[in-house]
Amino acid sequence: MLITNPLNSSALAFPILECIHIVGFAFSIGTIAIVDFSLLGLGLRGGSPAQLARSTWLLTLGGLVVMLFSGLLLFSSDPDMYYLNWAFLIKMVFFVSAVIFHYTIHRKVVRSEVPTSNGKLVASVSLVLWAGVIFGGIFIGFLYPGLSVRF
Amino acid sequence: MLLSFAQWIQFTTMFTALRGSANVYPIVLSLHMIGIAFFGGMILMTDLRLLGLALRNRSIADVVNQFRVPKRWGLLLTATCGILLAGSKAEEYYYNAFFRTKLILFAVVIVTELVFYRSVYANPEVLDRTPSVPVNAKLAAAISMLLWTSIACCGRGIGYIEPPLDKIHAQIHLRQDCALRAWRGPYSLKGQDHQDVASTN
Repeated sequence: MLITNPLNSSALAFPILECIHIVGFAFSIGTIAIVDFSLLGLGLRGGSPAQLARSTWLLTLGGLVVMLFSGLLLFSSDPDMYYLNWAFLIKMVFFVSAVIFHYTIHRKVVRSEVPTSNGKLVASVSLVLWAGVIFGGIFIGFLYPGLSVRF
Repeated sequence: MLLSFAQWIQFTTMFTALRGSANVYPIVLSLHMIGIAFFGGMILMTDLRLLGLALRNRSIADVVNQFRVPKRWGLLLTATCGILLAGSKAEEYYYNAFFRTKLILFAVVIVTELVFYRSVYANPEVLDRTPSVPVNAKLAAAISMLLWTSIACCGRGIGYIEPPLDKIHAQIHLRQDCALRAWRGPYSLKGQDHQDVASTN
């Protein structure tokens, strides 16, 4: 049985979803970056990163959920292409690592009230992982499906 | 004049190299997006703080003042990358409706910043002293969120329009040719009708 994806029958669906995806990551990665920068001693000072994380975790999670679901819908428009696109695969590796890192090590370090020496390292790793997700996402559009580079 | 500036700038050595480069263009675009995540995130958090929806355990003055410098760095990164991206396809962008809308929205952002600067952003300490956040501060925050979200969406939209430069060029040549005929008289360009001129370009 052939199932047509309603996403592909509308020219506007994909760009609108992309906009939602971008706003989603501005919220999620934006709030994570704010906490990371405070661990690095940049941006918001005067309070502990733990305090900052307590007031941003919901926005981070909300942004992640929006980003994930809009991303799944975008993926559904052309799964074969994404599956063969190595930028997408790298993005997924970065994304899964970033989410796991965020809710395990990152969370533990941020929530500890006593400043740990590896706070800066954890913040840097988190920023690099999320930057990797963004880089992967952009490069998807610059590659041909089939593991070769189009230019 | 703007058009000839756009045509000149995209054929400068730097922008020609950027346009033709295999990896640098997507890298600049990625950095532009990273700027959006970091810089846009700080804008959203400042606006949500003014609206009383986030960072409520921090004072408005802290949020506005301490984000000011990092926001400028974020703006510098995002704007630099944005100028590099726009410059390398300047003529195409000149005709792009989303790009034009984006520029207009930037102008609106500047105007709203100027309008609300004194009452909201210059002295955020005052906002902490009032029992509830004044309406104009909330208005500034809501407008800011709306504008920056629209700017991000317009940015995404730019990639979906590809102005047909070939046709536009042909039409411009046709118009110039007509102007030339009007100036020199009807028989100056014998044997060339509009079709010929259009197809030779």
